[in-house]
Amino acid sequence: MSQAFTKAMARNIFYGGSAFFILLFLALTFDTHSALPDRDNRQNLTEQVAHGKALWEENNCIGCHSLLGEGAYFAPELGNAYQRLGGADGIKGFIMSRPKDGIPGRRSMPQFNFTPEELDAIAAFLKYSSEINTANWPPNIQG
Amino acid sequence: MQYKSQAVAKPYFIAAIGLFVGQILFGLIIGLQYVIGDFLFPEIPFNVARMVHTNLLIVWLLFGFMGAAYYLVPEEAERELVSPGLAILMFWIFLVAGALTILGYLLVPYSGLAEMTGNSLLPTMGREFLEQPTITKIGIVIVALAFLFNVGMTVLKGRKTVVSLVLLIGLTGLALLFLFAFYNPDNLVKDKFYWWWVVHLWVEGVWELILGSILAFVLIKTTGVDREVIEKWLYVIIAMTLITGIIGTGHHFYWIGTPEYWQWWGSIFSALEPIPFFMMTVFAFNMVNRRRRNHPNKAAVLWALGTAVMAFLGAGVWGFLHTLSPVNYYTHGSQITAAHGHMAFYGAYVMIVLTMISYAMPMLRGREAANSNRSQVLEMWSFWLMTVSIVFITLFLTGAGILQVYLQRYSADPLPFMVVQDKIALFYWMREVAGVMFLIGLLTYIASFFVGGKEPEAVVAATEGA
Amino acid sequence: MNATDTDGQRSNEVASAYPPGDLAIWIFILAELLVFAVFFAAYAFTRMNHVELFNQYQATLNRDAALINTIALLTASYFVVRGVVAAREGDNALCARWTWAAIAMGAVFLVVKSAEYAHHFEAGINLRTNTFYMFYLSLTFFHFLHVILGMVILAAVALKAQRGGYSSADHTGVETGASYWHMVDLVWLVLFPLVYVMR
Repeated sequence: MSQAFTKAMARNIFYGGSAFFILLFLALTFDTHSALPDRDNRQNLTEQVAHGKALWEENNCIGCHSLLGEGAYFAPELGNAYQRLGGADGIKGFIMSRPKDGIPGRRSMPQFNFTPEELDAIAAFLKYSSEINTANWPPNIQG
Repeated sequence: MQYKSQAVAKPYFIAAIGLFVGQILFGLIIGLQYVIGDFLFPEIPFNVARMVHTNLLIVWLLFGFMGAAYYLVPEEAERELVSPGLAILMFWIFLVAGALTILGYLLVPYSGLAEMTGNSLLPTMGREFLEQPTITKIGIVIVALAFLFNVGMTVLKGRKTVVSLVLLIGLTGLALLFLFAFYNPDNLVKDKFYWWWVVHLWVEGVWELILGSILAFVLIKTTGVDREVIEKWLYVIIAMTLITGIIGTGHHFYWIGTPEYWQWWGSIFSALEPIPFFMMTVFAFNMVNRRRRNHPNKAAVLWALGTAVMAFLGAGVWGFLHTLSPVNYYTHGSQITAAHGHMAFYGAYVMIVLTMISYAMPMLRGREAANSNRSQVLEMWSFWLMTVSIVFITLFLTGAGILQVYLQRYSADPLPFMVVQDKIALFYWMREVAGVMFLIGLLTYIASFFVGGKEPEAVVAATEGA
Repeated sequence: MNATDTDGQRSNEVASAYPPGDLAIWIFILAELLVFAVFFAAYAFTRMNHVELFNQYQATLNRDAALINTIALLTASYFVVRGVVAAREGDNALCARWTWAAIAMGAVFLVVKSAEYAHHFEAGINLRTNTFYMFYLSLTFFHFLHVILGMVILAAVALKAQRGGYSSADHTGVETGASYWHMVDLVWLVLFPLVYVMR
C-alpha cells in the first residue's frame, strides 16, 4: 500500500464508517417501527395468542420447525401451517395424535399432552402468525 | 510465555476443546436422526440434541475467545492481568453454569426446565440459539462483565495497541448486543427483528472484530511483519466489515413481516459482505509472504491461513449464494441455510479459536515456541481432515438444499416437506459420513497434544532480495 | 513494493503524487461508488419494469429545487478546488476561506433538500408509499448523509488550515478532503438526471 495511507487514516475510516452506518441502521429501524402496525397483524394479538407464543417457546418448537423460515429445518415450516393443515382443528388434531413412543424408523413429533385450552392457544398463535404480511413468503402451501 | 498471568488461558482452551468434542458428538446424533427418524426417540428428541449441538458451539467459542483474550491482552498491554484470580473464578462459574444448563436440557423436558427456572417471570427461552434459561443468560452477562472488567482494566493500565483495542471493542459489542436476548415481546415480528440484533450483529458484526484482532495478533507473532502494517490492514478490514455488515442485517428482514424496502437495502449491502473476508484472505497470505522469519510453529501458520480462506468461502461465498432477496425467496429456511451455517461457523470462528490455541498452547505448556515436528505433523493432519470434512458436509447439504428447494418450492407441482426429505436422504447419509470423518479429525487433533519430542528451531527467513 | 517502507512516513513527492490525496480515501471512494452503482442499477432495472409508475411520481418531484442543489454542489466543488490551489501555494488562510465557502454551499444543499423532504412528509409520503418513492427517498437520503459526511471532512480540513497545518510541501489532507467531496458531487450528477429528469 502507498506510503501516504497511514494507520490514522484507516482508523478514521473505521470509526467514521461505523458511526455513519450505525446511524443509518437506526434510522431504518425507526422507519420499520412506524411501518409495522400495517404488517405485523397486531390487531389480532390477543392474550390467547400471547399464551400460545409462550407455549411455543417453552416447548422449544423452534428446535425442529421453522416459523417464517427461521428455526430448525427438521420438520415442516409452520408460518402457513394454519392454512396447510386446514385451520385450528387440523392443527389440534395433528398435535394430539402424536404417538408417545414415536413412529418406528421415522421422524415424529413428541406427544406433549397439552390441555384443550393450551391447544386452542397454540392454534390461535399459528393463525396470528399466518396472517403477518411476509411479502408472500413462503412461495407455496408446502412451506 | 512472557507474563505469568497468561497461564489462565490454559483452562479456557482445554474446556473449549472438551466442549467442542461434545458439540460434534451431538452433531452426529442429529445427523443420524435426519435419516433414522426414531434414533434415541423419545429419550433425546431432535430439538434437544440440536439445542445441545448449537449451544455447545456458542459456549465453547466464547471459552475460546475469552482464553484468547487472556493470552493476548497481557502480551499486548505489556503487563500482567489485573486479576488472574477473577479470571479463574469466572472460568469455574461459566463452566459449571454451562454444564448445568446442558444437563438440564438433557435430563429435564424443556418445558419443565422453563418452569423450574421461572421463565414466566422474564420469558426469554425457546428462541433459536437463545434457548438458555433466563438465569443462565443472567450468568452469561455477569461473567461477560467480570471478563470485560479484567481485560479492559489491563488494557487501560498498560500499552494500548490497535489489536487489543479492536478486541476490546468486539468483546464489548458482544456483551452489549447480548442484552437484546432479554427482549422478547409477544409481537412475533418485533421478537424476530431484535433477535437478529443478537444473532446477526454478533456473527456478521462484532465477532468479526474479535476474529480480525486474534488473526492480526497471531500474524504479528508468527511472521514478524511490522506491527504498523498489520494494524492498518486490521482497521481497513473491520471498517469494511461494519460498513457492509450493519445494513447487511437487512438480509434477514425480507420475509418476517418487516417492510419490503429491506429487500433492497439487505440485498445491496449483504452482497458486499464478502469484501472484508476477501481482504482478510489477501491480508493473511500477503503477511505470510512478507514474513521476516520462519516461525517454528508451522501448524499455527497453517491454521491462520486456513481461517482466512475458509471464512471467505463459508461466510463470503456461501453467504452470497443465497443473500439476494429473489434467490432467498426460494432458499430461505432450507438446507442451503444449514450448509452456509456449517462452513461459515467452522471457517470463521472455530478455526480462529483453533489458530489461537495452536499458537498459544505450546507456550502455555512450557515450551519455547512450538511443539515437536511429529506433533505438528499430526496437528496438520487434523487440520486437513476437519477442513476437508466440513467442505464435504457443506457440499452435501448444498446438494440437499438445491433439491429441496426445487422439489418443495420451485417445481410446477410442489411436494410436501416430509416427502422431499425422504427423497434427499442420500445426501443426509453422505453428510453423516463426512461428519464421522470430522470427528476422526477432531480426535487426531486432540491426540496431537499428547505427542512429545524435541522442539524445532526458529529460522530467520532469508531477507527478500538478498 | 519496497520492503523497508515504514508506514506513517509521508513521501516528499506528494505534490506530484497520483492519485492526489490519501490512497485510503480512494479505496473508500471506490467502495462508495460501488454501492451507489449497485443502487443506480437497481433503480434503472426496476424503473424498466414500472416505467409508468416512475414517470407518474417523478412528476411530483421539485426539479427547480434539484437544479438549485446541483448548482450548489458544483459551486462547492469549485470552491474546494480553489482551496486546494491555495493550499498548494502554501496560503493556509485562503485555503480555509475557500473551504468554508464550500461548506456553506453544502449547507445550502442540505436546507433545500430538507425543505423537499418536509414537503414530501407533509404529503404523507414515506418509504412504503410505492416503489418509486422507496428508491427516491433511499437514494437521496443515502446521498444526503454523504453530503453531511463530506462537510464534516471539509470542516476538519478548514480547521487544520486555520491553524496553519498545511504547506506547499504537505497538503495531502486538503486533497483527500477534496477528493471525497468531488465523489459526493459526482454521485449527485448521476442521481439528478436519473431520478429527477429522465423520462
